[in-house]
Amino acid sequence: MVVKVKNLVKRYKEIIALDHFNMEVDEGEVLGLLGPNGCGKTTAINCILSLLSFDKGEIEVFGKKMSPDAYDIKRQIGLVPQEVSVFGNLTVRENIDYFCGLYIYDKNLRRRFVDEAIEFVDLKDYVKFYPKKLSGGLKRRLNIACGIVHKPKLIFLDEPTVAVDAQSRNFILNGIKQLNEEGSTIIYTTHYLEEAEMLCKRIIIMDNGKDLVSGTKEELKAMITTSEKIIVSFSEIRDETVSEMKKLPHVIDIEKDGDDYMIKFENGFNNLTNLLEFIKEKELTYTKLHSQLPTLNDVFLELTGKELRD
Amino acid sequence: MTVYKYFIKMALRNKWLILSNTLLFFFFAIINTSGHIQEEMSFIETKLNIGIIDNSNSPLSNSLKDYLESKNNIIDVSPEEEIIREQIFLQIVDAVVVIPEEFEEKVVSKEKVIEVYRDDRKAESIQIEHQIEKFLLFANATHEEGKFDLNAIKSALSEKVNVNMIRDGSRGIDKGTNEWFRYYFNFTAYVTIACYISVIGLVMADFNEYNIENRRKISSKRFLRFNKELYLGQLSLAGIITFIFILGSIIIKGKYIREINFNIYLVNTIVFSFSILCLTFLINNITRNKFVTNCLSVVLSLGTSFISGVMVPQQFLGDKVLTLAKFFPTYYFVRINDMQTSSLLGVKNDIFMQLLFGLAFLLVGLYLSKTAQEV
Ligand SMILES: Nc1ncnc2c1ncn2[C@@H]1O[C@H](COP(=O)(O)OP(=O)(O)O)[C@@H](O)[C@H]1O
Ligand SMILES: [Mg+2]
Repeated sequence: MVVKVKNLVKRYKEIIALDHFNMEVDEGEVLGLLGPNGCGKTTAINCILSLLSFDKGEIEVFGKKMSPDAYDIKRQIGLVPQEVSVFGNLTVRENIDYFCGLYIYDKNLRRRFVDEAIEFVDLKDYVKFYPKKLSGGLKRRLNIACGIVHKPKLIFLDEPTVAVDAQSRNFILNGIKQLNEEGSTIIYTTHYLEEAEMLCKRIIIMDNGKDLVSGTKEELKAMITTSEKIIVSFSEIRDETVSEMKKLPHVIDIEKDGDDYMIKFENGFNNLTNLLEFIKEKELTYTKLHSQLPTLNDVFLELTGKELRD
Repeated sequence: MTVYKYFIKMALRNKWLILSNTLLFFFFAIINTSGHIQEEMSFIETKLNIGIIDNSNSPLSNSLKDYLESKNNIIDVSPEEEIIREQIFLQIVDAVVVIPEEFEEKVVSKEKVIEVYRDDRKAESIQIEHQIEKFLLFANATHEEGKFDLNAIKSALSEKVNVNMIRDGSRGIDKGTNEWFRYYFNFTAYVTIACYISVIGLVMADFNEYNIENRRKISSKRFLRFNKELYLGQLSLAGIITFIFILGSIIIKGKYIREINFNIYLVNTIVFSFSILCLTFLINNITRNKFVTNCLSVVLSLGTSFISGVMVPQQFLGDKVLTLAKFFPTYYFVRINDMQTSSLLGVKNDIFMQLLFGLAFLLVGLYLSKTAQEV
């Protein structure tokens, strides 16, 4: 176990930012910490890294109790903070070199690491630029380079793709995959479902400072009752017919959105066949019909009663 | 040593700040080489129109009258306060000196004896007070077995002048050179304060910025080592700036440094530089806001330089102003430069005061940094 957090409680005066939060991270995995803005992701990371004190709980990193002067543990950790945190008065290369210098004292090794980090985030053409001359996406890449230049075994990335164009975002996500393939354990926080789904082997869903559930995305989706959604557009349908449709086997609920009806089924056989037979029997005409597997949004919705999207 | 390296690098990136301050400084220093000082000197020597009201009519008071007469034009005035004030207002006299009854006893008991009405609009009028002070100083010095040695006072007062003249003459330097060094080093006070607070302050604000500080905190760099490098950087920067000033004086007036008390200037400048570095440390622990730092740099450099006698010599400043100035090291720095003495022992108190201020700044700064860490 690389990181173990047990019953972590953190208050900011009257706000409870973390409420008995738990987390376990295995070596070599990409763990996603998924939750809406303000749910406590950054606070959790800052507590784990001893940047914040906390009220209750236990934190272990690499099997040892984490503390501000656990320098041997810190040597293995990299953080890409949510805010772009670099010196405005230093160039791209100097920034990366400075932050590398906080870990690596050997000059030659440092030069090599800095070169590799620049290569990794593809900022070769910008090494002499000052941060304010960089676009948002490039700034984010610089931010990442500064956090991973010392080749840490455990990397925390706090929403590294916020306010980034699609191209840079893909570049960043692929880079993170690469870091993981090279052996780093990754803890990735985000409020974007797609990113968590695409990148993370395991996901912890957070809300209001609590860890709601954790597991692989398949495990998470299996946890909820809705397992299939079928969306049909009827040109004309009476309310009684809809009520009758609700009585079909495995139907949980039907939501109406204009002409579209979303029919939610729980796990079971022949859901689509049953529906099609019902349509034929009632001589209904439909313009489109498609089936959807549940998303993490459905998981979140069912767990919290609200949507995860902004 | 990456922290040290980048501290210096970023400090030098503020070169426009350092340069503009330094260039301004050298511009003034060179302008000062011509003219200005001579004027200053001649108005120090001005004879004033003064009135003397002697209520004592003792040998000592007569002796004082003689002395003042030798330095000023005496004008008849009425003893009534209202009339005195009016005559000063109308600029008929520059100052009126009132010698009280029982003058001699009061001098012995070191009471404030003599009342001086003077024209505040005329800065030179302060010289009357200096002349009286000087006279009383010598009078007290010669007081023995209930008697003043009037001859000794007289010769001491005149001898002083002779000594000065002989000294100046034999060394073959004009007063102007001495004055130039005095002005030059006094003015370094202003630039030192402005540069240290703004440049070091701005770079430290960058290092102390919340997110960047967090990156340092999670790193494996030890806090103590990190701080050591930062303070070494500050010390180096201060060293460079002080060195430039000293070098500047040598370049501009190098051929005279053997003839003046250059060692005193040197020691004084280094000590002052140290105390201001400590002040900068304190300020960096009070605020991390760049705007506030900049404001403090301007206010403290200009304000304290002014009240401590960098722009206007201390002798022309009011008592209240000087009392206020004593709460800042610049006052002692300027005082040493103004003394123009050759003995280190003679300035040890003022050196000590500067070091004391430095120490106090350092301790308060340390205290603040400790409490800030606990939060
Ligand atoms: N310094 C702070 N002072 C007071 N409240 C804070 C502070 N930082 C965060 N919070 C509050 O704690 C909660 C969690 O914040 P945060 O960890 O930043 O969430 P996230 O990173 O998931 O968006 C929020 O309600 C936020 O308002
Ligand atoms: Mg956050």
